[in-house]
Amino acid sequence: MATKTKVAAKRAPLETLREADETLRLPAITPPVTYPLETLVPEVRHQTPAVGQRATRPDGRLHGLGQTRYIDDLAFPGMLYAKIKRAGVASARIRSIDTREAEAMPGVMAVLTGREIPVNSFGPSLKDQPVLADDRVFHAGDGVAAVAAVTEQIALEALDRIKVEYEPLPAVFDPLEAMKDDAPKVHAPNGNIYATKVIRKGDIDKGFAASDHIFEGRFRTQMVEHAPLEPHATIAMWDPNGRVTIHSTLGRITLGRADVARTLKLPINRIRIVATIVGGNFGGKNEITQEPVLALLSKKTGRPVKGTFTRTEEFIATTTRHPIIMDYKTGVSKDGRILARKVRLVLDGGAYCSWSETTLGKACILSAGPYKIDNLHTEAYVVYTNKTMTGAMRGFGAPQVCFAYESHMDDIAAALNLDPLDIRLLNAFEEGSPSPTGQVLHSVVVKDSLLQAAQRFGWKEPRS
Amino acid sequence: MANVTLNVNGEARTASVPPETTLLKLLRDNFNLTGAKLGCDVGDCGACTVIVDGKPVNACLMLAGQADGRDVLTIEGLATLDGLHPIQKAFEDNASLQCGFCGPGIILSAKALLDENPAPTAQQIRDALAGNLCRCTGYTKIIEAVQDAARALRGEPADKAA
Repeated sequence: MATKTKVAAKRAPLETLREADETLRLPAITPPVTYPLETLVPEVRHQTPAVGQRATRPDGRLHGLGQTRYIDDLAFPGMLYAKIKRAGVASARIRSIDTREAEAMPGVMAVLTGREIPVNSFGPSLKDQPVLADDRVFHAGDGVAAVAAVTEQIALEALDRIKVEYEPLPAVFDPLEAMKDDAPKVHAPNGNIYATKVIRKGDIDKGFAASDHIFEGRFRTQMVEHAPLEPHATIAMWDPNGRVTIHSTLGRITLGRADVARTLKLPINRIRIVATIVGGNFGGKNEITQEPVLALLSKKTGRPVKGTFTRTEEFIATTTRHPIIMDYKTGVSKDGRILARKVRLVLDGGAYCSWSETTLGKACILSAGPYKIDNLHTEAYVVYTNKTMTGAMRGFGAPQVCFAYESHMDDIAAALNLDPLDIRLLNAFEEGSPSPTGQVLHSVVVKDSLLQAAQRFGWKEPRS
Repeated sequence: MANVTLNVNGEARTASVPPETTLLKLLRDNFNLTGAKLGCDVGDCGACTVIVDGKPVNACLMLAGQADGRDVLTIEGLATLDGLHPIQKAFEDNASLQCGFCGPGIILSAKALLDENPAPTAQQIRDALAGNLCRCTGYTKIIEAVQDAARALRGEPADKAA
């Protein structure tokens, strides 16, 4: 095939050449694109005042011209397309995987299963996530096998021809259920609670005893997908020297490099990760997904392999925001001063840890709100369930607890017939207030911000 | 394989593609015009918007064969060697694009609007861009940029009040 292409390249007109491209999947010949030659490079040694200047983005022009190359916009000669077969069952043991029919298909260059991955586990803190399912499926979005083929269509068809036999196992989907002793263990023999954080300050029993009113409330949030407009995409190239070059939409390159090195059992200096502009991350592209799979498919085929997630995969096979069940109990004096607060957070961690420990910590520390509370007890748990894993997303748990403590404040204000603004001004942090963990806070402007905001949008004006 | 001949950015192009090929795949894989992006592949996000015979369409929902014999304008066909298109200029000046993935689609939706209605209201701009999602949530600056571009295209001086 290679000789044929060379001959064709010599004489064939452009369109025939493109057909030759089709067989080798060479990047197509680009028509001349005209765009302005002036660039946005700032003048050298030209000092501009940082404040008061209108800033434009240095990459804004390329974005607007459509010339920014995201990973999915790249192509390499001979590139193959990879697709991953998703389990579709939440909890099961894999009895057998039959890939023979898929491998026999014309155009299918390689098939990969979890057993072929040198070290089949990764994760930013706990290494509990397999790259492809080994013999157990922990959630429906788990990959069970991967295919590299000359076109995406052939790869998709090959997925259908992979026969996987499952033995269904009991699953647990509710985090509160998962905390019970008799709940099915997601990662047996370990329990489902995989991280805990407790903050104690003062004496909450005394605080509640001294309170005039005690309010309780439960707040829940839902799972949220980052849904960046650009889906996860990767191109892996395993060269004959045993070095791997990975173009990826990763946001945390060095962490990804360590995880790829671990899973491929290679020294880290043999892994090169090239990351370009990311088309939206929001925390969802902080860890590897398909990178080791594509690297191994590239090793098997000797060709670059590209994989781009479908929108469905974005939802089922990448991290999401933790749903949290938040129980608040607050003791207040007659005039609305908070005397004691007890908080219990249960984070739904999904099937794998991912960034749960970080999220747990931040949610726990911030769960009391920006309020002076002398007697505080916060306990937070993150538990495994047989669902899509939850991980980093803008705020790391802060938005969930903010929804809860502010809703709780509104409930208290309404019950005490207080203005929601006044109860916040009464309790808000001041200069030098200690945080729940004892950090002394400086430059505290909560009250100023509240008052200014209230004035700007006319909070005190009569409402209809 | 289906043979398609279409006019892309003012140039006649032909390709032979499998019949299930979408216009988006044709533009990206065969013509290497990667400005139109694949975001959702089901017509929800608008990242693949191109202009076909003057109308904005989701290129992921149109088959290559359906574009046969038609005029297609992609983001690559907007600027000239002399300079940026006024819409692109306005988007740059307003720093309207953050990650930029939605940008080409939004600029083309805006162009289709301004071609039909040179003086749209903010609401009309919002309606025209309803099919284009920006997950970085920069809609305010995007709408301001379209307003600036409309002024520039009408030959009015830019609004320097802001």
